[in-house]
Amino acid sequence: MREEFYKTLSSPIWWGALVIAAIMPFVLSSYYVHILTLALVYVALASSWNIVGGMAGQISLAHSLFIGIGSMFSAALLLKLGINMWFGLVISALISGILGAVIAWIDFRFQLGHLSFVLITLAFAEMGSIVVEGWDFLGGASGLLLPKDTGNFLAFQFGGGHGAFWMMLGLAAICVLVNVAILNSPLGYYLRTIRDNEKAAQAIGVNILRYKITAMVISAMLASVVGTAYVRYLTFADPYLLISPVITIEIVLFATVGGLGRAYGPALGALLLVPLGEILRGKLGSTLPGLHYFIYGIVVISVILVTPRGLLPLFERLWARWRGPAVAGKP
Amino acid sequence: MLEIDNLVAGYGGVPVLRDINAKIAAGEIVGLLGANNAGKTTLINSLSGMVKPISGRILFLGEDISKLTPQARVELGIVQVPEGRLVFPEMSIRENLLLGGINAHARKHRPQQMEKVIGLFPRLGERLTQSAGSLSGGEQQMLAIGRGLMAEAKLLMLDEPSLGLSPLFVQYIFEIIDKLHADGLTILLVEQNLNLTLRHAERCYVLERGQVAVEGDAETVKNDPRTRSAYLGL
Amino acid sequence: MTELYQALAQGLLIGATYGLLALGMGLVYGVSGVVNFSHGDFISLGMFMCLALYSAFAMDPYVSIIITVPLMTAIGALVYIFLIRPMVGHQFLMVVQLTLGLSLVLQNGILMVFGGEPARTPSFVESKLIILGDVVLRVPHIVAFVVSFALAIGLYIMLRSTDFGRSIRAVHQNAHAAALMGINVGRVQVLTFALGIGILALAAALLLPGTPIQPTQGLRYTVITLLVVVLGGMTNFVGIMLGGLIIGIAEAFGTIYLDGPIGLLLPYIIFVAIMLFLPKGLTWSSAR
Repeated sequence: MREEFYKTLSSPIWWGALVIAAIMPFVLSSYYVHILTLALVYVALASSWNIVGGMAGQISLAHSLFIGIGSMFSAALLLKLGINMWFGLVISALISGILGAVIAWIDFRFQLGHLSFVLITLAFAEMGSIVVEGWDFLGGASGLLLPKDTGNFLAFQFGGGHGAFWMMLGLAAICVLVNVAILNSPLGYYLRTIRDNEKAAQAIGVNILRYKITAMVISAMLASVVGTAYVRYLTFADPYLLISPVITIEIVLFATVGGLGRAYGPALGALLLVPLGEILRGKLGSTLPGLHYFIYGIVVISVILVTPRGLLPLFERLWARWRGPAVAGKP
Repeated sequence: MLEIDNLVAGYGGVPVLRDINAKIAAGEIVGLLGANNAGKTTLINSLSGMVKPISGRILFLGEDISKLTPQARVELGIVQVPEGRLVFPEMSIRENLLLGGINAHARKHRPQQMEKVIGLFPRLGERLTQSAGSLSGGEQQMLAIGRGLMAEAKLLMLDEPSLGLSPLFVQYIFEIIDKLHADGLTILLVEQNLNLTLRHAERCYVLERGQVAVEGDAETVKNDPRTRSAYLGL
Repeated sequence: MTELYQALAQGLLIGATYGLLALGMGLVYGVSGVVNFSHGDFISLGMFMCLALYSAFAMDPYVSIIITVPLMTAIGALVYIFLIRPMVGHQFLMVVQLTLGLSLVLQNGILMVFGGEPARTPSFVESKLIILGDVVLRVPHIVAFVVSFALAIGLYIMLRSTDFGRSIRAVHQNAHAAALMGINVGRVQVLTFALGIGILALAAALLLPGTPIQPTQGLRYTVITLLVVVLGGMTNFVGIMLGGLIIGIAEAFGTIYLDGPIGLLLPYIIFVAIMLFLPKGLTWSSAR
């Protein structure tokens, strides 16, 4: 099962794509580099969400908590207690992991069926945003402003612009690779079993709680790390962006549009939708605020109605047809 | 009354029933026999409209009903008493009976019809406000039949009415079935219990792997060696 | 002591409307297994419709319901038929993403039309107060309480003693058997969803007087409704109304007795605490 993962690691296409992506900052204007950086943030977030939401079929709406901890908490640690952001990143990731485990455990206890996880994670997300907006240590409703990024790597600074792009590219690549690795490991197999038939999985002796918690912890820690990197890039820790349940909804919709449970599905969704949304926002944001979200909503509804498994399987089918019926699509 | 003409039906385009031909005359009591998975329930669900036909026709009183919705068929008087009773457990006996007569045709005569049903099953009449979920299996079977009668059935299709009942209740239920038949109701009796069915049905069809293996009157079916092989799945 | 009575009274009044919001969601879940994550945004939509009617014709929100309830009911039916029904049966959890997408569409559609500034819709009862001893009650809250309870009782009677109500319960208890009775299950599902949205239009008018509204508020209403529905055991009528009162009282106590975020968190804390001890919610098996 692991072979596929090493094949990916040694695949020239993978590294080629990464190198081409890496030289983008030298080709594009800083506006488009900014848009691509944002797209990579969401590639990383949607891919980390996919471990729980796609592979295990547990639609978590709690990821704003992990992103929020990674961003707001590590920013607060730096500003209020002078703790280096590298440490802040680690501390936040640990807290996110623990919180993820607790949420997975509570869900296991509630036993309300398939939908319970969605409901409970949404309640937790809402609680998180109330806490952050009311707690001065985390900046309250007005947020936190990080010191200027001077490129001091030891202080978790990447020099803005190009540096941030490369850092995000690295993070996004790691998140996608983790997806590939899990999908090709026993964990991925168990998660899919749980997704497809939880009762049957239990009957054959799969320790459901253990795998659900494992998936949630990995996913939460990755989201937290991405959150820390995101806030460093933004410089301003905005609670209405970073701890709002809306950021999770965006991620869920990107993953759904691309293809749930697939290694590259969430990345595809984010790479298509984020640039579209950002360009719309840049052009029409002042006259029609919210237009990009509106479009996201329309796109996801259309995709779900037309191709419920997402665009990736659709593209694969089209590709297979274009290459001729003799060659079957890759599984 | 009912005519099944080269019916092919199944789930998701995969046929379970193949080339079924059968007839039920008005006032007849017909048995539908077969082992588990022979396609009995699929067949009566096709008659009820719960399973869509792939090809072939179903005629009721001379009209093709194979494209009609389940609701339209209930209104015509094709009523199923499902396997496992499927009463509404959190509703009272009275509410269950009222739901039985909810179709547009039967709705108008519900009070009279309910009196008839209570006359047939006095035990139900005694506890109209009790919840259906609290009844014994036999009482639930009475309720399920009563609910079917509320729909003003012309063709009553009973799916495994003896399933899970004590011998005493089985006897009682079959007495009721005989009585309904004597009153002129047309009945399709789906049963796994071979001997019981042969004693009560005038004619039988034996299904084997989705096809009619044997048909004829009770005596013919009883003596046909293929009946036994259909049951043993040989 | 006065504070205690004040908190209790305020909580009960608002809790009844929360219960009503949740009944709609519970009914829909009961017959179609669907949880609508754009629930709160439909409340927003109802509120902004009232605002638009006020701006255009100076119409009081209590009068606007003559227009908003039928309109929203029709929208609900269309949403179910064209968006949700294609999902029911096969891609089940996809309804979650679909309604989340719908939530973004509604919320931002409203934002584009009305802008993001908080807006108020005046009503003739808005500033009227009733004083009972030391307890001060706002008339809109009393109206909301009375109408919500009346509607809840009306719904309860409808479910118990009309054919439509019995059809809804039959589909909830066993959809297959309901179809065998000649009930058009698909139609019951559409009508129930439409009814749920229609109730929201009414609840929106009840919640509106004196409350500043913003397009982004929808999600918070969705979450409150979810808390109540889950507390009530998803489909249990009495449980849901009780859940509404509990969440309403928790909210009132939180804002009156506790400062800052802990006060706002109180409903959630109570929710988690109750669910930890009663994982199936406040079920009331005889009252379904």
